[in-house]
Formats: sequence, C-alpha cells, structure tokens
Amino acid sequence: MKVSKSAKAFRLLIAGAFAASVTVLPISGGFAAGETLGAKCTTEGESTGTFSTSLVCAKNSAGRLVWTKVKLSASNLKPANALRAPRGSIEFWHWRAEDKAWFDKIIADFEALNPGVKISQVISNSGDYQATAIQKARTNKKAAVFATFRGAQFNTAATTDFYTDLSSDQFTKRNVIKSMMGAGQYNSKQLGIPYQSLFNNPIYNIAIFKKEGWKLPKKFSEWISYCKTAKAAGYTPMAWMGGFRPQAGQIINSALMNTASTDALLTSRIQALDTGKDPITTTWFKEMASKYAELRDAGCFPDNPKGVTEAAGNTLFATGKSPILPTGSFSMGGIVTLNKEMDGNMGITGMNWTDDVNARYTGITNNTFILGVNKNAGSTEQRIAKAFISYLLTGPVATYYANSSKQHVTVLDVSYTDANLRNTSSIMSERLVLAPRFIWLNQGVRDITEDALIAIVGGESVDKALADGAAAIKQRLG
Amino acid sequence: MTLPAVILYSLFYLYPTINNLRYSLTKWDGFGEPEFVGLNNFSRMLTDDTIFNKVLSNNIEFTFLVVIFQTAFSLLFAIFLLKNSRSATFLRTLYFFPTIISSVSVAMVWQFLYEPNLGPINVFLKSIGWDFLALNWLGSETVTLRAIAFTQVWFHVGQMMVVYIAGLQQIPAELYEAAEVDGATRWQQFKAVTWPMALPTTAVVMAYTTIQSFRAFDLVYSMTQGGPNNSSSILVTLIYLTAFNEFRFGYAATQSIFLVVFILAITALQRRILRTRY
Amino acid sequence: MFYKISRIFALTFLAVLIIIPVLVVVFGSFKTDLELMTKPLALPENWTLNNYRTLLDGGEIVTNFRNSSIVTLFSVLITLFISSLASFGIARVINVTGRVLFVLFSLGLAIPAATSIIGIYELFVRFNLTNTLHGLVVINVASTLPISIFILTAFFRQIPNELYESASIDGARPFRLYRSIALPLSKPSMAAVAIFLFVITWNDLLYPLLLITQADLKTLPLALLDYRGEYAINFSMIFTAVMVASVPMVVMYLSMQKTFVSGLTAGAVKG
Repeated sequence: MKVSKSAKAFRLLIAGAFAASVTVLPISGGFAAGETLGAKCTTEGESTGTFSTSLVCAKNSAGRLVWTKVKLSASNLKPANALRAPRGSIEFWHWRAEDKAWFDKIIADFEALNPGVKISQVISNSGDYQATAIQKARTNKKAAVFATFRGAQFNTAATTDFYTDLSSDQFTKRNVIKSMMGAGQYNSKQLGIPYQSLFNNPIYNIAIFKKEGWKLPKKFSEWISYCKTAKAAGYTPMAWMGGFRPQAGQIINSALMNTASTDALLTSRIQALDTGKDPITTTWFKEMASKYAELRDAGCFPDNPKGVTEAAGNTLFATGKSPILPTGSFSMGGIVTLNKEMDGNMGITGMNWTDDVNARYTGITNNTFILGVNKNAGSTEQRIAKAFISYLLTGPVATYYANSSKQHVTVLDVSYTDANLRNTSSIMSERLVLAPRFIWLNQGVRDITEDALIAIVGGESVDKALADGAAAIKQRLG
Repeated sequence: MTLPAVILYSLFYLYPTINNLRYSLTKWDGFGEPEFVGLNNFSRMLTDDTIFNKVLSNNIEFTFLVVIFQTAFSLLFAIFLLKNSRSATFLRTLYFFPTIISSVSVAMVWQFLYEPNLGPINVFLKSIGWDFLALNWLGSETVTLRAIAFTQVWFHVGQMMVVYIAGLQQIPAELYEAAEVDGATRWQQFKAVTWPMALPTTAVVMAYTTIQSFRAFDLVYSMTQGGPNNSSSILVTLIYLTAFNEFRFGYAATQSIFLVVFILAITALQRRILRTRY
Repeated sequence: MFYKISRIFALTFLAVLIIIPVLVVVFGSFKTDLELMTKPLALPENWTLNNYRTLLDGGEIVTNFRNSSIVTLFSVLITLFISSLASFGIARVINVTGRVLFVLFSLGLAIPAATSIIGIYELFVRFNLTNTLHGLVVINVASTLPISIFILTAFFRQIPNELYESASIDGARPFRLYRSIALPLSKPSMAAVAIFLFVITWNDLLYPLLLITQADLKTLPLALLDYRGEYAINFSMIFTAVMVASVPMVVMYLSMQKTFVSGLTAGAVKG
C-alpha cells in the first residue's frame, strides 16, 4: 500500500514537472502561438539507435530533430491510452481531402471500440477552409473536432475563444513531441495539438533526375540553370499551381527563409508587413519578389501559370511531365493515389534562394493540422472529440496515419515504414526552419501578398504587382 | 387568406432586408456585439473602396454582356427553331436542357472544361493550332469575368429561346406573307416584322436576364469565388465574401443596401426606356 | 443559301457545345482520374463503376439526396398552398389592400435574395434555426412566395367573375370558393409553378451555404461543393457526384418536358 502510494506521488511529481515544461514555454514577442523560428529542441528521450524511426529530439543531435528509435526517459510516462467516448455523433473538420480514406479507417476502428459513437468528416479545400471554417463551426454543435492551420487560422481560433484548453490532458503531456507543440499554444495554454510534421520543400521525381543525369540544385543560380535545362529537355520544370493560392504559396517559405540575418529580424519584418506598418513594396521584400521574376524568366513555371489548378499541377508531376512539385511532403499521398507508379519514386529537396550553399537555412519544416476541441460544441460532443483526439495520438494509430498519408506526425512511438517517408528523411540533414509563411496572422493580408507574387509569375512587373498589392492591403486594413 | 404569406414574407424576407439599414451603421464581426460607427461604412464604400468600385464595374460589365448576348442568341435560335419540325423540337429540348441543371454542377463542369493546361477547350484549341486562343480562362484578370458570362449565357440561352418562340409564334403569319409579296429579303422581314413585333417579348427577356445576371451568385461562387484578385466578383458574391470570409457584416449590409438601390434604379430605368420607346 | 448554311452551322455549334460537356461528365464518371485528366474527350478505356461504388459507399450522398428531397418536397408544397391562398385573396379582393400587397410581393421579385443574407443569418442564429432542415424550408418558402404569388395572381385574375358570383349566391364563403372553384381550375398553373419551384429549390446553393454547416443536413448542391474539397484532386469523382445529383432532374425533364418548359418559362416571363 505504502509503496504504491509513494510511487503514485512520484509519478504525479514527474507528471507535474513534465506538464510544466510543456506549458510554460516562453512566448516570444509578437507571436500569438508559443513558437520561435529555428528554436533548438531539447532532449526528450534516449536514443536506442535501432531500426525503427521516430522523429524526436534525441541526445547528441545538436539540438536538431533526428530520426531515431527513442526510449522515453521515465517508464511511468509511457504514452497515455486513448480515452473512452460517450455515445453520440460528431463531425471532424479538416482540409486534408487526400487523407479521407485513412481517416475513414481510423474512425471505423474508433467507432468499433466505442459503441454508439459516430464521427463524420467534413472536408473543404484549404483555401475555403482557412477563410470560412471557424465562422461556420461556431454555429454547429456537432463540429467538435476541428483542425486549424498554424498561424492566422489558429490565431483566430485562439483569440475568439473557439478552442477548449487541452493543457492538462494526459495525451498532451505524454504522447507528443514537445518541441513541435508551440504552434498550438496561446497564452501558455495548449489549445490544440499540431498533428502533422511537414516539410514544405519541393518534391522531385527520382527516376527523371537519374535518367537525365541531373544534380539537385543547391543554390539559386543552380535552380535557374536547372529550369533552363529541364525546359530545353521538354519538361515543365516546376509543376507550380498558380491557380490555387494555398499550394502556390508554399515556395514563399523557402524564398523568405534567408532574407534576414537573424530569426528575430525576419519575424519582425514579416510582422511589419502583416500589420501594414511596412508596405510590400519595401526593399527587402521587393528583392525577394524579383527572384520570382528571375525564375519566371528562366522558364521554371508552367504555361498559363496562374490557371494551373491543384489537380493539373499534381497531374503534371504524377505523369512525369514535370520533374518537380514545389509544394511539400504532404502532396505525396495524393500523387500516389493519382499514379501508383510514383510510389517510392519521390524525393525531397530544400530550395535555397541564395547563392551561398552555406546559407543559414536550406529547408523548411512546419507543424500544423492543429487538432482542438470546439468550445461551441455540445458537452457530450466535446467529450467524444477529446477521446477521438486522444485516439489519434496513440502510437499505432499515428503510425497507420503517417504511413498511409505519407506524412510525418508529432506523435511519439511511431514507426515510419513507408518508402516515400524514408526517402524524404534526407531532408532532416538540411538546416530547417519553421515555415515563415505562417508568421502572418492576418489571412487577408497574407492572401493579397501571395497574390502579388503569383501575379509576378503570371507576367506582371515586380513594381506593378507589389504596388497593386500594397494598395489592396491598405484597403483591407483601412 | 393572405395572412400566412404576409407573415412569412415579412418576417423572413422584408425584415432582414430592412434590417440591413440597422447593421449598415455598425462594425460587426457576426458573432460579437455590433459597434455603432455612424455613416462610416457608407462614406467608405462610396469614396474609398477600390475593390467595391472594381466589383461594381465588373457587375455592370457582366450584366451588359449577359443581357446583350443572351438576348441576341436566344432570339436568333428562336427564329431558327420557330417552325415545328421534328428536328426543331429535338433541338429545343436539347438547348433547354442546361436550365434544369444546378448552377453548382454547371460550375464544376465548366471549371474542368476551362482548365488551361489539361482542359478540353485548350487541348482542342492547341490541337488545331490556335494556341493564341488557348487562354487562361478562369485564372486571368482580364478573361475570367467574360468566361463566366459565357457560361451564364450557355446556361440560360435555351430558356430565353423558349420565351422568344412563344412570343414569335403570336406574330400573325399574314404580316410575313405581306412582306414576302413586297419582295422583302429575310433581313428586311426581320427588321420590318419580327423585331418590332417581338419587342414586348424582348422587354421581358431583357428584364429577366438582367435580374438573372444579378443573381449569378451560385455560378460565380462555385467557379472562382470572385477571383483572381476580385476580377470576377459581382456584387452578390462580394457581399457574401465580405460578411462570411472577412467577417465584416456591417460593411456587407451597407453593400447590400447599395445593391438594392442599384437594382431598383436599373429596373426603373429599363421600364422607362421600354415604355417611352414602345 | 447563306441563311441556310449559317442556320445549320449555328444550330450544330450550340448542339455540340451542349452535348460535349454532357459527354465529358458522363464518360468522366466511368474513368479513372488520370484517364480523365489526360484524355478528357475519349471514351473510357474500361467502363468502371468504381467511382460510383466509392461515392455510394461513403454514404453521404444518400443523406444529401434525402435532405434535398425533404427540403424540396416540403418547400414546394407549402409554398404552393400558402401562395395560392394569398393569390386568391389578392385577385379576389381588388381593392387597396390587394394592390398594396401585390406591390409588396413584387418588390421581392426585383431584389436578389443575396441582399438579405446578413439579416437572415442573424435571424436564424437568434431563433436557433441554423442547421435545421425546417429552417431551410421556412426560408425557401419565404423567398419563393413572391414569384409564385405573381404567377398565380395573374391566373386567378383571369377566372371570370361570373363563376364566383354564381357560387357566392349559393352562400359559399371565400375559402370554399378557393377550394371548389379556383383550385380545380388552376391545376395547370399550379403544376407549372410547382415545377418552377422544384427546379430552383432543388438546385439552390445560397441558403444551404448560409445556414447549413452540419454534414448530415447538407443538400446536394452544397454537398457538391464539399466533394470538390473532398476530392480536390479528383475530377472523375466530382463528375460522378454531378451525375448522381442531376439524374433525377434529367429523368423528370425528359418524361414531363412540356410541363417543365412551360413552368420554367412562366417563371421567367412573369418574374
């Protein structure tokens, strides 16, 4: 009796300490969410160095996340099991159309474990989702599990009291990779769990690069020459989707990452654009924007770039007409669905927009798909929602999701077996920075900014596109 | 007997419309408390909103294009299919067909047809060597509005054609016979008989097409949501997006009031023109 | 000669312009997505029902179909009942009230529904009518009343007064006049209005978009928008959904062409 009591006390103590370390992360300056660019991770496990892979911050990794099997430091802090759900039906709102089938399977298993529970997915495309989903879910008592994007959308959810606090839940403390949780924090509270660990870097067709004997471009001038070579060989160098802003805007991350000498400077510059303090015609941004024009002039983008939809862009890449898909790891699942032969034929590479191979950063990472519970949902619905999130955060479920959807997750105890995921692990050797695109907290301003860059690719002059965009932003904020 | 209709209509149609006046004086995000801002929204809309101006001129262009082409083509096809033959009946049925399909379905289909790289229209144009015409139908600030106007005409031309056929069939055959005796050409017959006699029908077709063009919400919203860069936005989509994408309900209400006044003015103007001339 | 050639050319052109999209959709629903994207105009290499299977397995479309049917059925019936009553009242009471009411309802014809969405949204949130099918019916009825009243009033005014007068002498009250004289005579007009209402209600996007966010309550057009999100990169699935959503309407159109054409034309002419 006595022994177990003290053991219990000890467990509580450790749990408490762990919780403290999760929730009392410093909130940096202007960030809404508790995150910093390029922050080093802290060790949270012991590497056992064996075959299986889980993305964590291990010892001897010099503050970087690495792929390694990890034994958690205290045995009593093993990942928590899924909670039980009461009877009832809820909706799971998200934008990952590509993952519908996998979530269907996960939901079916969850429903079998929890009789009387029914979960349906409500999916819209990422553009619509960012624009309207929160507003819609506010009057919907069933929209209990709600995913948000890192940045503007999460910030809206946090500042309008949309999410319940998950800080004290066991799954928050024990099942996830601490250093990836910042995107779901606000005012020291964990309002959502970023589920996906993404790499917003170009995906390339391994076979084409091999066949043509090309090397992956490592700096900007090499990207320019790659485009010219690929174009001359009859390819569309990059299957860029100017007709679909959410995906077209992915390369802005790489474009931004080395524009400032420090993370703090980059952050404050973007915040100045976001709040309208600086117009997008400002010198540093214009310099960056003119690189879009250079890429355009080198023939990097498809014909009629502004009209390329996501479907067309994916088709260009999946059919081998284009060797590079400039979106990110999250597109791989859709590509394989489109063309099975692409399975295992995709690699990932950073996109360095400077001519310095030793630039500060060479790649992008992002923690997003922030899962939270809608406060406006009914109380039973909220309990089901929490149980479902806890289920998603268990190792086996997350392993299934990761390997089928072909993206990495922030969950501990996951084994990555999918060939595409293993191929993309090379990105871990790059110097990665958290995607700067999501520093913008005003979705409208970010959209206009990205539209200006899209206009440049579409043939507009840099000056005109940025001036038009700056005027539109002024209008929007005024 | 009229009571149920009056109650329902007043509560769920008139009252919300009139309520725009109240919201238009506020800044309101749709879920918090509205904040009174006086006439700010109005002064902003009328003096300092380039997007609103752009959308207004889009709407005028859209309405103009749709009214002109839809009226012209429905009249043309009505003349072509006036006589009741087997093939004419078949073609009438075929041309009328799009009318019964939902705007959302029509939007999805045309989105695919217009796809600039893989879509059938451009693939076809490129295959016959007309690359210069293979435009970026739904992704270009200069073309998109017109492409949607084209779809709108495609969508409703059959319906208006039937209206015209009904109108043209009322024209007494003697008039044509008399014209023929005078040796009038087809064109002269059209000018002397068809056009003047069909004017009342033309008035109906134009009036309805105008209203229809203001109601093209479903089509624009499903095809482009007003993009790129508001270039295909019309007033009704702007109102919706201002409220539900930008959470500016007060301002959207102000725009609604403008739209109501604008439509009433256009309708009155159309009536006046048609009345004074005929 | 010139006339004949240009006539044939124009007729063929429009026919092709309508038939090709229809074929693209029909064939597309039997193709794999890659096939559709790469060979949009070709016949399917092997006709596969996979898209239909996937769509129906999901089950949502069945729910959407049911919702659309419920909303359309009740909206049309209630609108017909209320508007014919009102039209009868307006047509029979040819005095100041009748005229005022008529002008009032006519206003609703000119003003697009989209102008009142802010107020409607607020009202529905306040009354807890968002995410309910009966809420959708209420707003459909309210918004289609003007057009129905417009058409039916015009019809009731054509009924000769003598018919009513003979009945009135027998001491029939207004409601009986409506039931025993006006209604039976107005069957063709009512059918035309019914078709008109049926088509616009079944196809409506605006109100569901505004008021319904719950998945199990969505109607077909709204669900179609969702399918675009759900099958973002899969046009063949979207076309399959378009097929399922349109087929009932097409079948009805082909089997009751006359009523359809006269109904939709009446809606246009009177509106």
